[in-house]
Amino acid sequence: MNDLPQAPAPEPDPTPYAVDSSLSTISKATYFKEAALKNLFLLCACVAVAGVGLIFLFVGLKGWPIFAKVGIWEFLSGAKWYPTKGFFGILPLIVNSLLAMAGALVLGAPLAIGTAVFLSEVASPKVRELVRPAVELLAGIPSVVYGFFGLVLLRPIIAQLFGGLGFGLFTVWIILAVMILPTIAALTEDALRSVPEGIREASYAMGATKWQTIWRVLLPAAKIGIIDAIILGMGRAIGETMAVVMVAGNARVIPDGIFKPFLTLTTVIVMDMPYASGDHRTALFGVAIILFIISMLFVASIRVISRFGKEMS
Amino acid sequence: MLRRCALCLAVAISAVSLLGLSGCKKADGASQTSLTVTGSTTVLPIAEVAAEDFQTANPGKRVLVAGVGSSAGIESVASGTSDIGTSSRDLKPEEKSLGLVDTKIALDAIAVIVNPSNPVSGLTKVQVSEIFQGKITNWKQVGGPDLEIGLVNRDEASGTREAFSKFVLGTADFDPTAAVLPGTGQVRSVVAQAAGAVGYISLGFVDTTVKALDVDGIPANETTVADGSYPLWRNLHFFTKGEPKGLIKAYVDYVLSDNIQNTVVRDAGFLPIAEGGTKP
Repeated sequence: MNDLPQAPAPEPDPTPYAVDSSLSTISKATYFKEAALKNLFLLCACVAVAGVGLIFLFVGLKGWPIFAKVGIWEFLSGAKWYPTKGFFGILPLIVNSLLAMAGALVLGAPLAIGTAVFLSEVASPKVRELVRPAVELLAGIPSVVYGFFGLVLLRPIIAQLFGGLGFGLFTVWIILAVMILPTIAALTEDALRSVPEGIREASYAMGATKWQTIWRVLLPAAKIGIIDAIILGMGRAIGETMAVVMVAGNARVIPDGIFKPFLTLTTVIVMDMPYASGDHRTALFGVAIILFIISMLFVASIRVISRFGKEMS
Repeated sequence: MLRRCALCLAVAISAVSLLGLSGCKKADGASQTSLTVTGSTTVLPIAEVAAEDFQTANPGKRVLVAGVGSSAGIESVASGTSDIGTSSRDLKPEEKSLGLVDTKIALDAIAVIVNPSNPVSGLTKVQVSEIFQGKITNWKQVGGPDLEIGLVNRDEASGTREAFSKFVLGTADFDPTAAVLPGTGQVRSVVAQAAGAVGYISLGFVDTTVKALDVDGIPANETTVADGSYPLWRNLHFFTKGEPKGLIKAYVDYVLSDNIQNTVVRDAGFLPIAEGGTKP
């Protein structure tokens, strides 16, 4: 097909169809290939969108009856989650999820931002080439491995140091802090690197030390990017399931200490799904709806903040 | 590209038709070549080893065994997903109408376990009950050291939890602040590693890393279970949809045979069904 003679160049055409005639110099086979590829990529994009749409629709349809049955407010604010006895309150689960996320952020975000500052501003190229892959590798470890590590290694140590069983917020915080570190560090480093070199030079030229440049100039300049990074870290922390279920201890109450077992929005689905039926199963889909909404809020807030940042600069 | 699509389609169609065919085969009991056994993780060691021996003894037959919890096992045999549902508990009232036939295959006792470093060696049934309700929270209240009690519970899908609750708590509820773990092995390893921990597992899973407590002054071992003096024991069950037939019956009979009962069942720490009566 490729050895088809090319159409002879047409006479210069004065009409506005000149573009079309230039297209005709492409062979038919190439034209179809191009069109097919274009549609293939369109299809890929559609599959992604359809995937999100279908999941939301399915989860929504499956979970909606529980809102209708117990009422949205009662579902969100009820203090008891005993689905087999007819109590469908997820307030303890929401509180526990937020507690787990907040603690992980307090421990993990400074560590991650410090790592990013080190990689972007302090480290020599040689050190950077050693540290960066190590941090990136943290992101590649499957979460079940983190959980197993936490259960088998970290938990007994915590049980010995602080008493109790070793399950609880404290253990979860440590595991989650390490898990969100690579996400926040990589994005913060990108944000710091995108600060123009001229700003650094200007700061040094005015006699600022390295610390002053980092603290007073670079971090404020990269603020929006860092906030985005932290929100993505929050999303990862609140959505994490496998690692948390192994070290949280899964008691369905708000814990009265950081060394007491607890259950979150994500882990309740793992724990209850194998045997849930009827309203209980519907309630788990209701929990999934809440998780879906929380992650949508995170994505939306990143969009809003980025737009806000662009308008400011 | 079209050709590739056609290939995909052909593969998909043949896969679907294969599935359909195997479905047909399953409905035909006599010529059945494979058997699905799902349910209790407690029964798993018996069902699995028996399945391997059964396959060796009957070439060409396959027995697939999975441990998913007693409730899930009963649900899957009732819905026809599996041929035998294994369970470490009796049917609940609402499950009685599913048309399931019960075959008791072994005796099991539930041991209350603590960390070996714990000097407490026995409790009364009432004390165990109060500990698991959260009324007793320190070992010194039952004659032990001044150490907080760390409760380890099983998940609600567990037949062991079901049975323990029935034997010990009666109508009372478990302390909701207790840790809930999804497997016997996890309960054992957590109790083995935390000084104040207390949990419950099948006697068959007790090893040297944990200490089984005497209940009402009676040690938990095969002798006391066999003579009925140890209070916390139960039957293990195979549930089938209707009376077992064909390959299902062959496998059930194989598990009940003296050979399996005296080797596999005993090795797993349970007692042969012939040793004791049935629970009232």
